[in-house]
Amino acid sequence: MSINQLIVRNLKKNIKNYYLYVFALVFSIALYFAFVTLQYDPEMDPATGSLRGEAAVRAASVLLIAIVTIFLLYANQLFMKRRSKEFGLFQLIGMTKGRIFRIVSIENFLLYTCSLAVGIFIGFAVSKLITMTLFRITGVESVAELNFSLQAFWQTLLVFAVIYGVISLINYFYLRKQSILSLFQVQTKTEDKVKKVSWFEIGYGILGIVLISAGYYVSGRMFSGDFASINGLFGTMLFILASVILGTYLFYKGSVRWAGHLLRKKKQGYLNVNEVLSLSSVLFRMKSNAFLLTVITTVSALAIGLLSLSYISYYSAEKSAERGVAADFAFTDEETATSFQENLDERQIGYETNQVDVLIFDVNVSNLITNDFEALTFDPTQMTMPVVSAKDTGAVDVAENEVVFTETNDIIKKLTGMKDSGEVVLEGENFNLPLEMTSMSDLSVINSAFSFGLPTAIVSEKTFSQISDGSDPSLQRPYDQHIGVEITDANQIEEANTIFKSLENDQYPQMSKLADERAQKQNMGLAMFIVGFLGLAFLVTSGCVLYFKQMDEGEDEKPSYEILRKLGFTKGDLLRGIQGKQAFNFGIPLLVGLLHSYFVVQSGWFLFGTELWTPMLIVMVIYTLLYSLFGILSFFYYRKLIHRAL
Amino acid sequence: MVILEANKLYKSYGNRFTKQDVLRGIDLTIEKGEFVSIMGASGSGKTTLLNVLSSIDRVSRGTVVIENTEMTGRKEKNLAEFRKNHLGFIFQEYNLLDTLTVKENILLPLSIVKIPKREALARFESLAEELGILDIADKYPNEISGGQKQRTSAARAFIHEPSIIFADEPTGALDSKSASDLLNKLSELNEKRSATIAMVTHDPVAASYCSRVIFIQDGRIYTQLNKGDQSRQAFFQDIMKTQGVLGGIQNEY
Ligand SMILES: Nc1ncnc2c1ncn2[C@@H]1O[C@H](COP(=O)(O)OP(=O)(O)OP(=O)(O)O)[C@@H](O)[C@H]1O
Ligand SMILES: [Mg+2]
Repeated sequence: MSINQLIVRNLKKNIKNYYLYVFALVFSIALYFAFVTLQYDPEMDPATGSLRGEAAVRAASVLLIAIVTIFLLYANQLFMKRRSKEFGLFQLIGMTKGRIFRIVSIENFLLYTCSLAVGIFIGFAVSKLITMTLFRITGVESVAELNFSLQAFWQTLLVFAVIYGVISLINYFYLRKQSILSLFQVQTKTEDKVKKVSWFEIGYGILGIVLISAGYYVSGRMFSGDFASINGLFGTMLFILASVILGTYLFYKGSVRWAGHLLRKKKQGYLNVNEVLSLSSVLFRMKSNAFLLTVITTVSALAIGLLSLSYISYYSAEKSAERGVAADFAFTDEETATSFQENLDERQIGYETNQVDVLIFDVNVSNLITNDFEALTFDPTQMTMPVVSAKDTGAVDVAENEVVFTETNDIIKKLTGMKDSGEVVLEGENFNLPLEMTSMSDLSVINSAFSFGLPTAIVSEKTFSQISDGSDPSLQRPYDQHIGVEITDANQIEEANTIFKSLENDQYPQMSKLADERAQKQNMGLAMFIVGFLGLAFLVTSGCVLYFKQMDEGEDEKPSYEILRKLGFTKGDLLRGIQGKQAFNFGIPLLVGLLHSYFVVQSGWFLFGTELWTPMLIVMVIYTLLYSLFGILSFFYYRKLIHRAL
Repeated sequence: MVILEANKLYKSYGNRFTKQDVLRGIDLTIEKGEFVSIMGASGSGKTTLLNVLSSIDRVSRGTVVIENTEMTGRKEKNLAEFRKNHLGFIFQEYNLLDTLTVKENILLPLSIVKIPKREALARFESLAEELGILDIADKYPNEISGGQKQRTSAARAFIHEPSIIFADEPTGALDSKSASDLLNKLSELNEKRSATIAMVTHDPVAASYCSRVIFIQDGRIYTQLNKGDQSRQAFFQDIMKTQGVLGGIQNEY
């Protein structure tokens, strides 16, 4: 048999490993090409046009390259490992290492070329799909017409040529380092030579937990005014990132291994089949496990964090439009409102109106404020806020010397630490009226043209008539009433909105909930898109890395399954053990990743939107589900392996 | 009492075109408490026979009855449970789990019989002591020698005190001292606990520990030798002679 025949033979036998490798390549290339195509697409200009937008896209593309590189490096490492026996064999029959390296490089080159062709094609199709989706969610009405971008093509080529170079270099050193014997043994070697866990290791574990806690702690204090300057903030973020990632690694390396060893030692060698398949298998590969689990945790945390933040902004858009505009349409000018109503009548669109008189007062709320964040834009002893009568709002009951605040958005609440009740003082032109603030209502009463995001005070009818003469004229706006028009049939809002648009009025602010919501979504459409794209890319990457790892381990452990089945352990026995292992491999990085991302989101979410819990939990649940999909896939893979083992 | 009975066992590998008949009609009975060895040239189908007898592999035709239960045709899960509880194996390729230490490998079959840990550990200590592998208890299989692997594999087959032990060349990688230790251990299990043992071997010395030797050629039973009342030495000579005829080699004994 000539060497060429041998190579072809081996290629046939390794075909499954090639599938995986090519999949990883095509996936990465498609992902990257899709992103770059979008980046250079002129249709995206309204979105990416701004300087800030461009910077964001650049930063995102760098992050994407990093992730793709890590992914391909991992795939390559697995690929090489799977073939180590083959390389050993080649050397045994007298091939030099240089020759093997050349063969591997040429083969890789071919794989890269083919994958580039396929990947770019897929990426192109995907980017078109994405543009269409993007236009949909941002409400831009345009037909997605995408041209093949040469610039994107060259950039993709360049990036993957560099990755190819790096991987070739790594392969070169890998082959040079290995002896024939070690090539034959790669798959059965335990990575966990240390039998006794040293104090050193426990120290590592503790240090890891300390670092993670420190990162969490600092992230919680990030916007509390301790790190005021922008540079300080940036430094803090870097610190948090570094300490949490390093901490996670040490945590896995030290604590997890330590706990595992302790458990194993307690068993005194008396392991049941579950523990054989989970505990001992995990510890057997602890070194590479620690690294990989860290990568997956970090990537997951980033993905969940990014997706949460992006969804927070999307979700908040709706909510803040709802808050900002108390009715479907809100006017401050009676004349315009009347003509709007006439138009509605003409088209037979049913509606209800609600008129609210609004006065502006300074209110001393210093009793309620618990934070003294420097960046507060108002003076708590003189918060200028609109005051309305409970009668006009219809829904709230307020006693005579009491006042109810409408709930403000979460940003202000978070920054000020505003309490739910306490004494406030209404400061008129020549009187001070102390009132008891009893509760926050989540009612939205008036147009945000009055409140600018601050709460609105609702007082009793009597109080309102008492103070109506005493307000400070310098505080008042040129308009003093809110006219809300609520459309009865939601299907007709669109039509009403067209009418609304035709009634522009420069002098008096007027708002349409629908238009407001759209504007907000469009505004952050790009940020959302970038972040969402990256988040999904991270999700798929971390899922793939885990799945590959499971396939690899499964392949390594196939002989074990055979032995166990010969000894009489049933498929069910083995599968239960596999479940334990999956729970560890998928569960632990997911849990730690969720925890990390919770702190990431917690520390900066208010820069993105006004709602925290609902969107974050939705993202977390969806992420967990999608991620579990990979767990289930690899479980099925194991099931097939075990089924075939005997 | 007959513990194992095989009728007209046929086993062939490959598909219609590459078909290879390995077992061609083997009839065999083993009494409870017997110590039987199976001999034959390399490739004659000894391992295959052990595999089908122990339900690890399925026969193409024929039946295997163990303790009056028909094994052929039973559900996979059912068979596995039976192996787990009643059979012990020493495989030709050792078949140790790479991820477990020697001790963990040996204790593995005990995890399903609910016996207290203290008792399990005591059994391990004494077995490992007898087989001379106590000092490598915490090593991984790829850190020990072939002979040590073989003894580990044997210890794993003995620890749950199974009623039938299948041993495929259990002394193949051992020096004569460790080989006779292992064979003595087998004999002891056979005599004291009346465990039934079926052992494949190439070594006439090992075979002479048995009460009966079955010779296999071309997938059929060629002949059988019974030890009867003769001494081990005389039995050994008999085996040598038969083996010589079988292999066509003349021995100068
Ligand atoms: N899984 C299999 N697929 C195809 N043929 C097989 C398989 N297992 C064994 N054989 C063939 O069956 C025949 C008998 O094999 P077996 O392993 O039973 O021999 P053996 O008597 O144990 O030999 P040795 O003394 O060398 O171990 C051999 O010719 C072998 O090629
Ligand atoms: Mg054999």
